[in-house]
Amino acid sequence: MMHSYLYLSIILFCLGIVGIVARRNVFTVFMSVELMLNAANLVFIAFSRMHESMEGHVLAMMVMAVAAAEAALALAVVILLHKHRSKLDTNVFSLLKG
Amino acid sequence: MFAGGLFLIFAILAVLGAVGLILFRHPMNGAMSFVVTLISLAGLYALLSAKLIFALQLIVYAGAIMSMIVFIIMFLNIQDEDLPKEENRLLYTLGGGVVVLPIGLFLAKIVRSLPEHSTSIVGNNFGGAKEVGQLLFREWLVPFEIISLLLLVSLIGAVILAGKRGIKR
Amino acid sequence: MEQSVNYLGLIPLFPLLGAVFIGLLHVFTCNRIKVAEKIYGLLACIGPVLSFVLALKVWVALRAMPEASRLLVYNAFTWFSVGDLHVNMGFLGDPLSCLMLLFVTFVGSLIHIYSIGYMGGDKSYGKFFAYMNLFLGCMIILVLGDGPVVMFIGWEGVGLCSYLLISYYNEDRENVLAGNKAFIVNRIGDLGFVLGMCFLFWGIGASGFDYLSLKANVHNLEPAIALTVCLLLFIGATGKSAQIPLYVWLPDAMAGPTPVSALIHAATMVTAGVYMVARFSFLYAGIEIAGNIIAWVGILTALLAAIFGMFQDDIKKILAYSTVSQLGYMFAGVGVAAYSAGIFHVFTHAFFKALLFLGAGSVIYALHHEQNIWKMGGLKAKMPKTYITMLIGSLALAGCPPFSGFFSKDEILYSALATGHFGIWAIGLLVAGMTAYYTFRMIFVVFHGEPRDVEAYEHAQESPAVMTVPLIILAVGALFAGFLNLPSIFGGDQIISHWLAPSLTEQHAPSSVGLEMFVIAASVIAFAIGIKIAYNRFAHGAAEPSFKGFASFAYHKFYVDELYDRVIVRPYKAIGAVIWNMIEPNVTDAPVKSVSKLYMLLGAAFKILQVGYVRVYAIYMVLGLSIMSLVLSQSLN
Repeated sequence: MMHSYLYLSIILFCLGIVGIVARRNVFTVFMSVELMLNAANLVFIAFSRMHESMEGHVLAMMVMAVAAAEAALALAVVILLHKHRSKLDTNVFSLLKG
Repeated sequence: MFAGGLFLIFAILAVLGAVGLILFRHPMNGAMSFVVTLISLAGLYALLSAKLIFALQLIVYAGAIMSMIVFIIMFLNIQDEDLPKEENRLLYTLGGGVVVLPIGLFLAKIVRSLPEHSTSIVGNNFGGAKEVGQLLFREWLVPFEIISLLLLVSLIGAVILAGKRGIKR
Repeated sequence: MEQSVNYLGLIPLFPLLGAVFIGLLHVFTCNRIKVAEKIYGLLACIGPVLSFVLALKVWVALRAMPEASRLLVYNAFTWFSVGDLHVNMGFLGDPLSCLMLLFVTFVGSLIHIYSIGYMGGDKSYGKFFAYMNLFLGCMIILVLGDGPVVMFIGWEGVGLCSYLLISYYNEDRENVLAGNKAFIVNRIGDLGFVLGMCFLFWGIGASGFDYLSLKANVHNLEPAIALTVCLLLFIGATGKSAQIPLYVWLPDAMAGPTPVSALIHAATMVTAGVYMVARFSFLYAGIEIAGNIIAWVGILTALLAAIFGMFQDDIKKILAYSTVSQLGYMFAGVGVAAYSAGIFHVFTHAFFKALLFLGAGSVIYALHHEQNIWKMGGLKAKMPKTYITMLIGSLALAGCPPFSGFFSKDEILYSALATGHFGIWAIGLLVAGMTAYYTFRMIFVVFHGEPRDVEAYEHAQESPAVMTVPLIILAVGALFAGFLNLPSIFGGDQIISHWLAPSLTEQHAPSSVGLEMFVIAASVIAFAIGIKIAYNRFAHGAAEPSFKGFASFAYHKFYVDELYDRVIVRPYKAIGAVIWNMIEPNVTDAPVKSVSKLYMLLGAAFKILQVGYVRVYAIYMVLGLSIMSLVLSQSLN
């Protein structure tokens, strides 16, 4: 039974990676990152249940706090990008081209 | 038994929501299916006897973060022409799935080597606010303070980034 | 046995210090302050004069020592020690080096004093004297060195100073090219010298590489190696002392100022080759074929140079070819194993040749740097001191008894005939006649008859005392130096031969009065014939001839320079061009350049990966993660 939770989190994590790689919309990419974070959270809680220790819960809380902070900043950047180019495509911004 | 069925329902909902997130074109649709995923995950946390985390997931993630994302999506007044033209996103998704498959299989192999454990619901002395608080304010005090600093930094950053400084078109 | 004395090290040191000091003074003041010429002159003459005084001290010290052990040594420091080779910066004062030192410093000092007057008004006065002092220091090192390596230091040093001084008037490209020619031709000879030294070291150098040790060990040297060493060292001598085939630089070297020609290319540097053969007499004495080769090369050079000298019209070129010719005599002398005769001729030649050059310089100075004899004439009335001294020098050169040149030349010719070298004697006799002819051709055309350029003649006057006094002193030497080695039939003691005997491995030819008389008579007759022909042709105002046929061929020096240019210089330059244009870019530059091109290509290849889209970078990360997990899951099995 415990393994099922872990397999589920693996599936969600891989779906998150696919979302980052396959999509060009900035919102989708950002939300895929959040998906990956949630998958990690699930693993923390599952293992915490397995070891019967509360450490996992604390870590999951930390992850949530970080995700919140990161979400705020990422969305600020998205707003700036939209103001700059009025496009929500990650392929448009290629100044790093070497 | 009952727990097993609930697990299955929540799991399927979570996966469907994730697939929806990565396949919908309009981000609003994607955000909505993501909310479904988040709420199912909250249920899964509850099945794992994580009472406080279940509540926090719903309040912070599904409630605060997702509502912020949805607010920004609506704020930017996205028209159809603003969105990138992703005709062959299904192809890319399948390709990505192929590339990601080894990662998943590797992780699955690791999981297989772990011992099995029961996931029966624990009522007392586990997963509640009191237990989390006791851990948080004793052994994990320094990370707690640092997280608060992090949130402060992010607050200041967000204000500066989206503030009224001269961003020219 | 040998005494170690400190002042031996001071003898080369004084001129070298003088060179450094004068050089620095010139460099720091030549564009700012005007330093009086008197100061430079004084500073320049201190070094040579002090060296001469110390040379006298060496001589006195050697005379006080018993004859068998006349050796003064001084070891300044150990220069380097590599394996079996231990080279000290050491100096050896033995009779041979003492004799050379005496006349080198004496004539050197006189020429320095002469140059104070001759170079007056020159804009790089200080530079000239710095170079001259440097030359004298290097020549002293050459003469005083206690082994071939230290001699080579001096050898190279005098070559360098020769180049510096020939190209002294460096605004004119011709002079610089002449200096280049001297240095390059010298270098070719130096290669032979170095190879000779290497073979010598290989043969017997392990037990000490200085003259005394080499002399003690020479019987251990295999004959084949000994012959190789002799010939290679002689190649060095042909370069330095202008023998066939490397004589071509000496006539061109007349582009330098006349005191330079007098000091370097008459009295001292060019005799270094003869000194070297005499020094290595312990080696040459055992190998007769090497001596024969040297003698024949020498006498043929004497003949060739005499032919050229008979047709030249530049006063300095006549004297230059005369020098080459007399050097040929010296090599003929040391080639037939008459080492003391050769050195004796070096000694007398220094006096009369320096005298002739300085006299020519006096004439050139008076006529404002005119050097063509066909523009001179009748100068004996205007420049009596110069005329008398040059006449004495010419008589000495031509071999008129009782002047010094007669005795030394006669000694060589007698030794040649007495050891059975009839051909060498015959050619030597012919050259003696030719020497008399061209020397007096020069005297008659320049000093007798009517002036050919009347305006220059009007302005000519006798040179100042600072120039004529050295001439007079040298004339005294040219007159009387011969009596220092008077053969026994004239009642003399052969002082110089006896003095040099401990330094040289020499077997004197048996002295036979009849043969000696015959040789003297032949030489005097040759001299008389030569001077008579010259008198008939030139004493009564001859005009400049136009040369045809053989004379024209000889006037153009048998086109030897042009031949060298075609056969050696141009192919060499062509090879250089080939290397520069084809081999260098492809063979030496290509690997280096292709390495850098490789890196550029690699960089360009990797540049393709930098697309600039963050999504693509994320894809790279995921790909990496994927491959890593593939690899790890294999290892997890």
